[in-house]
Amino acid sequence: MSQLPIAETAVVRAHARSLVRQHRRDLIKMLVLYSLAAVMALIPAWIIGRLINFAVHHQLTDPLITRYVGALFLSSITYAGLSFLARRRSYILGETVFAQLREEFLASVLTLPLVEVERAGTGDLLSRTTNDIEALSRTVRFAVPEWLVAIVQTVLTLVAMLLVSPLAALAGLVSVPFIFFSTRHYLRYATPGYMRERASYATMSGAVAETAEGARTVDAHRLASRQSERIDGTIRESFYAELYTLLMRLVWFPSVESAFALAVATTLAWSGWLALAHHLTIGAATTVTLYVVQINDPVDRIVAWLDELQIGQTSLARLVGVSVVRDDRPTQGPEPTSELITLHEVHYAYRPGHDVLNGVSLTIQPGERLAIVGPSGAGKSTIGRLLAGIDRPRSGSARIGDVEISQMPLTTLREHVALITQEHHIFIGTMRENLALAKPSASDIDIAQALDAVDALEWVQALPQGLDTELGTTGYQITPGQAQQVALARLVLTDPHTLVLDEATALLDPRAARHLERSLAAVLHGRTVIAIAHRLQTAHDADRVAVVIEGRIVELGTHDELVALEGEYASLWRSWRNEGPEAS
Amino acid sequence: MLHLPYRELPAADPGVADRRSPLRFLIWLARQQLGTLSLNALFGIGWMVSQALLWAAVGAALDHGVAQRNAKELYLWVAVVIGLGLFQALCGALRHQLAVTNWMNATYRTIQLIGRHVAKSGTALTDEIPAGDIVNTVAADAMRIGGAFDVLARFIGAIIAWVVVSVILLSTSVELGLIVLLGVPILASLTTPLMRPLHAAQAAQRETAGRLAALGSDTVAGLRILRGVGGEEVFLQNYRQQSGRVQRAGNRVATPQAGLESGQIILPAILTGMVTYLGTRDVMRGTLQVGQLVAFFGYATFLTTPLRTAIEYFISTTRGYVGAGRVLRILNVTPLVAEPVRPDTWPEQLDTLEDQRSGLALRRGQLVALVTETPADAVAICDRLGRFVPDVDGVLINGHALSNFSVTETREHIVVSDIEPRLFSGELRHELIPHGPNTDERILKALYAVSALDVLDGLDDGLDATIEERGRSFSGGQRQRLTLARALLTQSDVLILVEPTSAVDAHTEGRIAQRLREVRSGRTTLVATTSPLLLEQMDLVYLVEDGRVSAQGTHSSLLASSPAYRYVVLREES
Repeated sequence: MSQLPIAETAVVRAHARSLVRQHRRDLIKMLVLYSLAAVMALIPAWIIGRLINFAVHHQLTDPLITRYVGALFLSSITYAGLSFLARRRSYILGETVFAQLREEFLASVLTLPLVEVERAGTGDLLSRTTNDIEALSRTVRFAVPEWLVAIVQTVLTLVAMLLVSPLAALAGLVSVPFIFFSTRHYLRYATPGYMRERASYATMSGAVAETAEGARTVDAHRLASRQSERIDGTIRESFYAELYTLLMRLVWFPSVESAFALAVATTLAWSGWLALAHHLTIGAATTVTLYVVQINDPVDRIVAWLDELQIGQTSLARLVGVSVVRDDRPTQGPEPTSELITLHEVHYAYRPGHDVLNGVSLTIQPGERLAIVGPSGAGKSTIGRLLAGIDRPRSGSARIGDVEISQMPLTTLREHVALITQEHHIFIGTMRENLALAKPSASDIDIAQALDAVDALEWVQALPQGLDTELGTTGYQITPGQAQQVALARLVLTDPHTLVLDEATALLDPRAARHLERSLAAVLHGRTVIAIAHRLQTAHDADRVAVVIEGRIVELGTHDELVALEGEYASLWRSWRNEGPEAS
Repeated sequence: MLHLPYRELPAADPGVADRRSPLRFLIWLARQQLGTLSLNALFGIGWMVSQALLWAAVGAALDHGVAQRNAKELYLWVAVVIGLGLFQALCGALRHQLAVTNWMNATYRTIQLIGRHVAKSGTALTDEIPAGDIVNTVAADAMRIGGAFDVLARFIGAIIAWVVVSVILLSTSVELGLIVLLGVPILASLTTPLMRPLHAAQAAQRETAGRLAALGSDTVAGLRILRGVGGEEVFLQNYRQQSGRVQRAGNRVATPQAGLESGQIILPAILTGMVTYLGTRDVMRGTLQVGQLVAFFGYATFLTTPLRTAIEYFISTTRGYVGAGRVLRILNVTPLVAEPVRPDTWPEQLDTLEDQRSGLALRRGQLVALVTETPADAVAICDRLGRFVPDVDGVLINGHALSNFSVTETREHIVVSDIEPRLFSGELRHELIPHGPNTDERILKALYAVSALDVLDGLDDGLDATIEERGRSFSGGQRQRLTLARALLTQSDVLILVEPTSAVDAHTEGRIAQRLREVRSGRTTLVATTSPLLLEQMDLVYLVEDGRVSAQGTHSSLLASSPAYRYVVLREES
C-alpha cells in the first residue's frame, strides 16, 4: 500500500517560517516579557555579590541590608509576575498555533483526491491524524515555548556574566564543546529511538485491543495463552525500545552534568584566582560563579527539548505532506449532454503489467438496472470504481454522455453518479448530521422522506431523541443493517441519476437485504442502477445481467436469456434454486 | 555484546496481584521491585545531597581561598567542587536508569496483568467494560502507575536533602535551620491550592482534546464516504468548532499552569530572601563568613529542586492511585462460565449433542443445518451448545449434562465459530492452526475447501505472511474464508458454524458448500444458515421457530412440505 507523501525539510521550514510571520507580534511580545523576566532573575546573584563586597569592606549596615534584601524580594516578585504573564501568553500562543495546524491539516485531508484516499488506505492517514497531531501537540504547546524561554535565559545570563566581568566569564565557556559534541552524538541516534518507543506503545495497546475485541474468538479457539504471549511480546519490544534510549542517556546525561560541574569549578577557580590577583572583587567572583550555576538550568533545558523538537519536526513533515497532494480533477467542466453511460475497450491495472480489466465495453441506458455477477477478483468492483470516477481507465474510455468521468468536477460527478460499497460509516454526530452531509440544505421533511424511502423512518423516530440522537463510536449504537439504511438514505438525498451498488447488501443478514432491496426499488425507479451483486436474487430482478470473468464480460443479457444460454450464469442460478441440471 | 545489568522485561510470570484495593495493588507492585526501588532511592539521595553540598564547597573556597587569600585552599576546594559534581553526575545517571527501570517494571507488569486477564475472561470483560476503555487503561493508566514509581526515589532523595540542609543550617544558626526545616513543608502545602484548579482545567482540556481526536479519526475513517457523497464542509466546520473548544480549554489551562510555575518561583524566593537577610546580618555581626553566606544563599535556591520534586511526587502518586483503581476494575471482572469443581471425564466418543430446550439433536458424523427466522435465534442455540452462556440446562453430551464437564475440554471438542470471528496479528500459518500439528499440506487442503487459495496467492510470503492487527488488510470476504479455514483445521468432534459464508459471493459459496462434507466427514457439524447453496448439502435441516424445532428433514423435503421454511430460505411471500 503506497504511503501519502512526507514534506521535504525545506517545505517544513518554509511552513514554520510562515507560522512565525503570521504570529510575529504575539511572538515578539512574548519574547520581550520573557527577557524582562530573565533580567529580574539575574538580580539576586548580583545583590549577593554586592553584599559580599560591602561585607569585606565592613560597610554593612542594617538599613543597607534591608534595602538590598528588599530589592532582592522585589526582583523575585517581579520575576514571578513577569514570568506568569509571559508563560500564560506563550501557552495561549501555543494553543493558537496548534489549533491552526490541526485545522489546516484536516482541511487538506478533506480535499485529498478519492484515489489517493483509496490507495493509501486509512492506516497511514489515521496515524497522522492521531499520533502526529499528538506529538505536535507536545512540541507546539510545551517544547517550543520552553525552548524559547531557555534560549532567552541563557543569552541574557551570558550577557550578565560579560557585564560583571568579561574576563571571568570566559571560564564558563569550557563546558560548551563537551555539551555540543555529546548532544550532537546523542541526537543523531536518539530521535529514531524515541519514535520507536512511541510506536511500541501503539503496538502494545493494539495487541490488547485486538484481544479484547476478539474476546469471543479467543475463548472459542482457546487462544488465551497465545494472546498473552503475544501481548508479552509487544511489551518486550517496548522494553528494548526503552532500553535503547535509556542506554543513550546513560552516556549523555553524565556527559552534560559533568560538563556543568566542570564549568562551575573552572569558573570558581579562575575568578577566585582573578580575585586573588586583584583583577576582580570577591563579590564579582561570587556573582559570576552563581551565574554559571544558574545558567546550567536553561542550557540543560535547551538540549533536553531538542529531541522533542526533532520529533515535532518529523510529525509536522507528515502533516504538511498531506497538503502537498493536489487533486488533478478540474474544478469546472462541461455538463454531460445525456445520461447514457459507455465503457469502451477499457483496460485497467492496479499493478503495471497485471490488467484486471481486459477490454470491457458496455453501454448502459438511462434508467436501466444492470447486475454484474462473477467470482471474486474477476474485476466487478473495478468496473464500479471506474463508473464512479474513482479510478480512470489505463486505456479506453468511461463516459457519461460525452464527458470522460475522470474529468468531471467532483461536485458534478456526485450529482450524476454515486458509489455505495459494503463499507458504511456512521459519523460521530446526530442522526440529522449523518444524513444532511449528503445535502446540507435538506429540511427535516426531505430527511424524513429519504428515511421513509429506505424504510428506516420508523426506527429512526423511535430513537431516544429521534433525529437529534447522537450516533457514532461515542453515541448510540445502531445495527450494521440500520447503518446500511442510513447510507442508502444519504444517496436518496444526493439524488444522482446513476447508482453503483458494490456488494451493498453483502453484510446484511439475507432477510434484511431482501427487505431493503424491495423498499429501495421504489426509490431507484427511473434511475440507472449498476448492482455489483453477490446475491443472485439481485441479478434476477435486474433488467440485464453481465457476467464478468477474468476481466472480461463473458455473458450479457436478461436473466431469462442467460438462463437459456446454459452458460456460467445458468448453472449458478440452478444450484441456487436447488434445481439440478437434470431437472430442467 | 556488552553485558548489561538489565533483566529482560516483561517477567515470564507477572505474579498474582493484590486486588483488594488500589493502595494494596500499588504496594504489591512496589514489593515486586523492592531491590531496584531501594537502589534507586540510594542514588536519588546521593544525587540530591551532593547538589546541596556543592554549595558548602563553593562557600569554603570563597572563605578559605579567596577571603583568606590562600590559593592552595582555593584549589583544594575547587577540587572538592569537581569531585562533588562528578559524583552528582554519576548518581544522577544511575538514578535515572533505575527510575526508568522502576517505571518499566510497574507499567509492564500492569499491562501484562491486564493482557492476561483480557485474554482469559472471554466476553465477560467486554460486556462490562468497553474495549476502548480497556485500551485506554493500558495506554494511560498503566503508564501513570509507572510514573508514580519513577518519581518515588527522587522524592526520598528530596526529603533527605532537605533534612541535610536543615541540619547544616541548624549547626550554624538555629534560626536559619528552623526556617528551612519548617519553611519547605509549609511552602509545599501552599502550592496545593494552586494545583487543584490546574488539574481541573487539565482534565477538561484532555476531555475536549480526546473528543477532538475521536472526531478527527472518525472523519478519516469515514473519508471515503465523505469524498464520495459530500459533506466535507460540514465536517470541517464541526472539527473547527471542536478545535476551537479545545483551544479555549487549553487557554483556561494557561492561567493556573503559569500560576503554579510562578508560585514555584515566588515561594522559594521567600525562603531565599529570609535566609539572605538573616545571613547577611550574621555576617555584619561577624558570626558568619561571607562564603558561608553564599553557601546559605545556594542552599535556599537549591531547595527549589526538592520542593518541585515533592509537588511532582504528589501529582504522580495521585494519578497512579486513580490509575490503579481503573486497573482493578478490569482485573476484578470474573469470566461468565466457571469450571465445575469436580468435572466429569470427557467421553471417549461423542455420540450425541442435544439441546432439550429447542429439541435440536446432533448425531456423530452428521452434517446438520439450523434455520431460524433471525440470526439472533440461531446464535442463542449455538451459544448454549458451545457453553458460552452460564445457563446450559438441558444441553446433554451422550445424555450427560454439559455443565458437569470441564470448560477447557468442551472448548477443545466443541468449537463454535461465531457470526463474526476475528483474526489476530501473527504469522498466517500459526493463525490458521493455533494448536498444531501444522503441516502445510493440511492448511492448503483447508484453504482449498474454503476456496481461499486465491487469498494465499495474493500474499507475497504465502503462509509465512504476517497478518496485520485484526486482519485488517484482508477484505470482509477474505477474512471470513480464513476464519472458516481455521475452524475446519481444528478438526474438532463437533464444529458449529454461524452464517459462515455471509460475506462471500454466490460462486464461492457454492464451492465451499460442496467441499464442506468431505472435510468434515466422520465428524459432527452444525451450520446455522439460510443459504440454499449450503442447505442442499446437509444430511438434516432443522427449522426453529420461537426457540423450538418446528420442522426437520432434508432441504428438498422441507422445501416441498413447509411454507414457513420456503418463506425463510427462498424469501418467497407466503
